[in-house]
Amino acid sequence: MTTKKILMLLLALVMIFSLVACGPGKDDPQKTDPSAPAATGDSTEPDSAQTEAPKAKDNILKIGGSGYDGVFNPIMSSNVYDAYVCDLIFEALVQLDKEGNYIPMLATWEVSEDKKTYTFTLKDGIKFSDGTPLTAEDVAFTYRTIADPKYDGPRAYAVDGMVGYDEYHKGTSAEFAGIEVKDEKTIAFTFKEAVVSNIENFGYGILSKEYYAFGDNFDTFKELIGKPMGSGPMLLEDFAPKQHILLETNKEYWDTARVPKIDGVLISEVTEETILAALESGQIDHAQPQTNKDNLDKINEMPNVTAVPFLGNGYTFMCFETTTPPFDQKEVRQAMLYALNRKEFIKAEYKSEELASVGMAPLSPTSWAFPDEGLNPYDFDLNKANELLDKAGWEMKEDGFRYKDGEKLTVRWLVYTESTWTQTLSGLAADTWKQIGVDLIIDLMDFNTVAEKTMDADPAERPKNFDVYTMGFSLSVDPDLKGALFDADAGEKGGFNASGFRDEHVQELIAKGRTTFDQAERVKIYAELAKILNDEVATAIVAYRYELWAVNNRVKNLDVSTYLKWTAFIHDIELTD
Amino acid sequence: MRTYIIRRLAQMVPVFLGIMLILFLLLQLAPGGPTGMLMDPRMSAEQKQELAEKYGENKPFYEKFISWMADAAKGNFGNSITHKKPVVEVIKDFIGNTFLLAIVSLLVGLFIGVPIGIVSATKQYSAVDYGTTIFSLIGVSLPAFFFGLLLLKIFAVELPWFPIFGLTNPLLRKADWIVRAIDKAHHLVLPVTVLGLTQAASFMRYTRSSMLEVIRQDYVRTARAKGLRDKVVIYKHAFRNAMIPIITLLGFSIPGLISGALMTETIFSLPGLGKISVEAVGQRNYPLILGINAMLSIVTLLSALIADLLYATADPRIRYD
Repeated sequence: MTTKKILMLLLALVMIFSLVACGPGKDDPQKTDPSAPAATGDSTEPDSAQTEAPKAKDNILKIGGSGYDGVFNPIMSSNVYDAYVCDLIFEALVQLDKEGNYIPMLATWEVSEDKKTYTFTLKDGIKFSDGTPLTAEDVAFTYRTIADPKYDGPRAYAVDGMVGYDEYHKGTSAEFAGIEVKDEKTIAFTFKEAVVSNIENFGYGILSKEYYAFGDNFDTFKELIGKPMGSGPMLLEDFAPKQHILLETNKEYWDTARVPKIDGVLISEVTEETILAALESGQIDHAQPQTNKDNLDKINEMPNVTAVPFLGNGYTFMCFETTTPPFDQKEVRQAMLYALNRKEFIKAEYKSEELASVGMAPLSPTSWAFPDEGLNPYDFDLNKANELLDKAGWEMKEDGFRYKDGEKLTVRWLVYTESTWTQTLSGLAADTWKQIGVDLIIDLMDFNTVAEKTMDADPAERPKNFDVYTMGFSLSVDPDLKGALFDADAGEKGGFNASGFRDEHVQELIAKGRTTFDQAERVKIYAELAKILNDEVATAIVAYRYELWAVNNRVKNLDVSTYLKWTAFIHDIELTD
Repeated sequence: MRTYIIRRLAQMVPVFLGIMLILFLLLQLAPGGPTGMLMDPRMSAEQKQELAEKYGENKPFYEKFISWMADAAKGNFGNSITHKKPVVEVIKDFIGNTFLLAIVSLLVGLFIGVPIGIVSATKQYSAVDYGTTIFSLIGVSLPAFFFGLLLLKIFAVELPWFPIFGLTNPLLRKADWIVRAIDKAHHLVLPVTVLGLTQAASFMRYTRSSMLEVIRQDYVRTARAKGLRDKVVIYKHAFRNAMIPIITLLGFSIPGLISGALMTETIFSLPGLGKISVEAVGQRNYPLILGINAMLSIVTLLSALIADLLYATADPRIRYD
């Protein structure tokens, strides 16, 4: 009986809605509720627009973008967006300058004679935002947490090179031998190997030992991910997932001379489709739209916004499976590159030569290690490609394809569909490679699938899975190649080098490059490495891409570049008008 | 009625288990895994392996399924891998917004669609009928993606009446609730227009065709012959029977209330479950995918039941005893 009554009520509601609505012009309270501002739009809209405008004069820097997951912890975050927020709330021992050199942030440092020990001395008066002083114990706590057996974040590589890591991580030792707190302000880290890029491990924000203490239960640590507390110039004021992150300036910031001049930062979730409109209307001050000529042109047309394109610290690459035919021969790999018009690709994909350039060396052109000359750009040349294939023994048959030992020259290229460039590139190859007798099969799939069939596959499975795949790669600041795309030791399942290529001289040079501390000497090593890799092309660098950022003209002292993003200027940014 | 409901509820249990099993199998077949998303060029293969171990990726399929079901029965859906917090909390963050947008749009759709459908059926082949039919055809065929961008271009960029993105202005967070409510409504106008109008169009078409069928029935003629006023005939006698297909449509809309509207959410940068679900699939965030889908399956099953029960209420000839 009661159920029936409820059902009747429900039905009656539906009927009432339809009946009420059918009498036009009558009072429809339900409907006016959501659309009230629309109906009275003409009178209230300018008002609310004005209440928003003075808020802007309120001195808040407004950032637009998407991808923020809300992991506000410098040792747990795994995307660059959350890292921006961490950079404002937390401070690290060291930071980068414009040229990509490490300079002091919270501490100055000295390196021992054997280059294995880094001794940091904290600056005076550093305080967390809760007023407690930041000491060497907090630094030690941060790095011990990363090494903790219970730690499940992505930062283990920052500490795994330190003396005593394995013992501490496996729980066989309660002490982390490589970390030594000397006094309240001094802490020493000792590494197993003297490697130049060890300094990169000190760019992560320092956590308060007291606030983040987790004892035996790592969940208590993770619960604080949404309630960050650090020594940085900003405080998290409000976070609405996929909507906005509001940060307020820490008025009690320890470095009183460098308290930010703005009142706060508002990061809003804005999708790619509308980000230019939001920039133009002034609803956001700073954003990174997708890099292409259309966006660049549109920004250049906006009177209130300036485009800032700069070379990104990374490249796109094309990896050949080199353990089996056809790409076990260098000539065949080179032929593929000669038969790929990458200048045309850049024009097609980015519509501008200002936004990408043809790749040659596995280093960023912004790096001091990038060689000035001696690299082959593999300019588009079908004759040369044909010559190389002839020389390698692949003969052209009447059907227009090449054969060797009865095998057709078939190439399977794995292309992921999440971004457009791999599709553009393989599309061009479908045309030009055919002209040199290659039977190209393009396999479209999602990014995870490409990864699973290449890097995350067992090395024995790889030859069956692919001949070529393409991806993007971002670099750290140091040119060290260890563990990445060109290191044969990173060829196991889950390693980054799926090419199967191994050259002992390359391995020696990689090892030498990372342990040589004299920069002039390193320039020579990396020039030689780049030259060999450019000739072997087991993995070819497709292009260097630009990042495109846009800044509203009301923002002063914001000068983003390859190594410095907006967060680096937080102390100096001023807003006008 | 009561036994019918209990029987239907009991049937849902195996169906739900079946859905989850298929979902588990599909996820098992999907290449890649969640820790792939935590990949960092500096992480060694060994470290990746250790993380996969910690996230339970290496366990056999049946073990994963059983332990998930056991935890879920206790209300524990695990932690979202990208958000590093419980799945239930992540869903809680978004479900309110999704529901608000959906329910308001659904009401707008019903308000506009059903009455217009009735009018255009009763005045078949009139100018009103043609006009509304054309309107509804446009509404049904206009992609939300395009319509949304068009509205933004006109009403947010050219005429800056409405905000381009978001659901609230965070700078007003300390204002009176009334100010915040108006602010939210202001943000919702354009997305609701997109979702509401497309729904109105389909409600209109269903109502119209259903009404047309009913109006020709004998009992309607009888009612007219009795000398009842046209309004009473249409709204009391005819409409009640014409409602069956609309109820079906409503039943289908209920899961839609919480599953989110991906396109609309994307265009207007709204924080909703649609976007989160798609992101979760791309990131192979298995716990979140499973949590959202478990919730959706239950709601879908329940709303099918509710629709069936409503049939009986609308049409007394339908009985479940």
